[in-house]
Amino acid sequence: MAAAIEIGGLAKNFVNDAGPPVLGAVDLTIAENEFVVLLGRSGCGKTTLLNIVAGLEQPSAGIVRVDGAPVTGPGAGKGMVFQQGALFPWLTARRNIEFAAVNRGVASEAAGKLADELLALVGLAGSEHKFPFELSGGMQQRVAIARALALDPKILLMDEPFGALDEITRNEMQDELLRVWAQRRKTVVFVTHSIWEGLILADRVLVMAPRPGRFVLERRIDLPRPRRRSDPTLVALYDEIWTCLRGEP
Amino acid sequence: MRSRLAEWLVPIGALALFLALWEFAAAAGWLRPIQFPPPSKLARTAVTLAFDGFPEGITLWVHAGITIQRILAGHILAVALAVPLGLLTGSRPLLDQMTAPIVAFCRSVATLSLLPLAIVWFGTGEGAKIFLIGYGCFWVMFSSSIAAVKLVDPVLIRAARTMDADEKTIFRQVILPASLPRLLSGARVALGVGFMVIVGAEMIGTIRGLGSLIMEARTFYRTDITMVGMLCIGAFGLCVMFALARIEAWLVPWQAKQEAQQQ
Repeated sequence: MAAAIEIGGLAKNFVNDAGPPVLGAVDLTIAENEFVVLLGRSGCGKTTLLNIVAGLEQPSAGIVRVDGAPVTGPGAGKGMVFQQGALFPWLTARRNIEFAAVNRGVASEAAGKLADELLALVGLAGSEHKFPFELSGGMQQRVAIARALALDPKILLMDEPFGALDEITRNEMQDELLRVWAQRRKTVVFVTHSIWEGLILADRVLVMAPRPGRFVLERRIDLPRPRRRSDPTLVALYDEIWTCLRGEP
Repeated sequence: MRSRLAEWLVPIGALALFLALWEFAAAAGWLRPIQFPPPSKLARTAVTLAFDGFPEGITLWVHAGITIQRILAGHILAVALAVPLGLLTGSRPLLDQMTAPIVAFCRSVATLSLLPLAIVWFGTGEGAKIFLIGYGCFWVMFSSSIAAVKLVDPVLIRAARTMDADEKTIFRQVILPASLPRLLSGARVALGVGFMVIVGAEMIGTIRGLGSLIMEARTFYRTDITMVGMLCIGAFGLCVMFALARIEAWLVPWQAKQEAQQQ
């Protein structure tokens, strides 16, 4: 499989901050259509890493390549889903998705069709004309996922997208995401601080430690999906990751 | 439905009780009529003002109409100037830093203290009055517009950038609609300032307008007319604020919902 994302010697220091770097020099290669989860406590640099891959933040050193081309800014086939959803509250679900499509040059009629298609994909057919404030948190994140997919991105970056949801909705959304992902294969980089979320979703889990932000544990999970939390392999992995996280200062 | 009714009944009942106590206190001789004319007297005065007018021939409607015209003229001019300038200033940190002390200074200057200057600059005609109202409204609207831009949730702008939106699209389709709720509430607060400034602005060079009605009545010790004038301004203010709040809820429904969730 070809590499979808190559990260080499990536470092980040905040301006006017003498402490250890937010992100040490990290290297990571992510294969096409791979589902990678970045796991760690708050402040370990996982979101910074994601933002740099998205082109929303500039690295202090190092390089990110998506499909072989260096990242110079946001957009251009890098879809992103934020924790707060970040839907435009003045636009309906359908219009939110159209915004993404129209900006990448899709004609407005085709954008409308695409929006309907994506809403159906995320299980929201019939809610086209609802505004975000009329949707539950889980439904808002479904729209956010559909909106990111409307960019027809090669890679999908997800920054704790289910972090604000209750556990029941969260588990449902994990299943939903896997169902959507099975239909629209993408390279996914998913940031979370839930160990179980990582184990349920990922092809590969990377555990990060803070200051300097770095990878301290890497585990590949080859189990078929959907996965059961009672699976002994996952239970053993949970213990291993928890021990690793707890060991940090 | 019952709770809606109760919602209205409670304040109306409280008002009726207040008026009844006032009337009773006046009838019992506890309140001097020259200081606190009873509600029944105010009602009669209002009717006289509405039909005969004061001074003779200038009815309450004429006074109210001219006052509202002045407030609207000043307010609309101020908003038309303040919104574009405020949006520009809010989106340019350097400009914002430069203007911050000026805004704080000008907002602190009591609008009516500019009355003598306004007369020197614009004479005693309509110009001075509209200038004073406009001045009061402008600084409120200007600082609301600056705040509106600065308080746009940055994640919305980041999201737009991940969707290939260019700067122009971000300004028009993200920053503008996202600042709309604060612009509208700023316009509402500015209008309130207009209602406060008007009485002072109408103290000079005119016998028409609710402000001049109040001042004229003072000359003749007509406390009842002063009070009716005040009530008129208050009632207009109340109606306009209520209408604007409804328009806001209709234009930016997501904001009302967000505020309700935060409470």
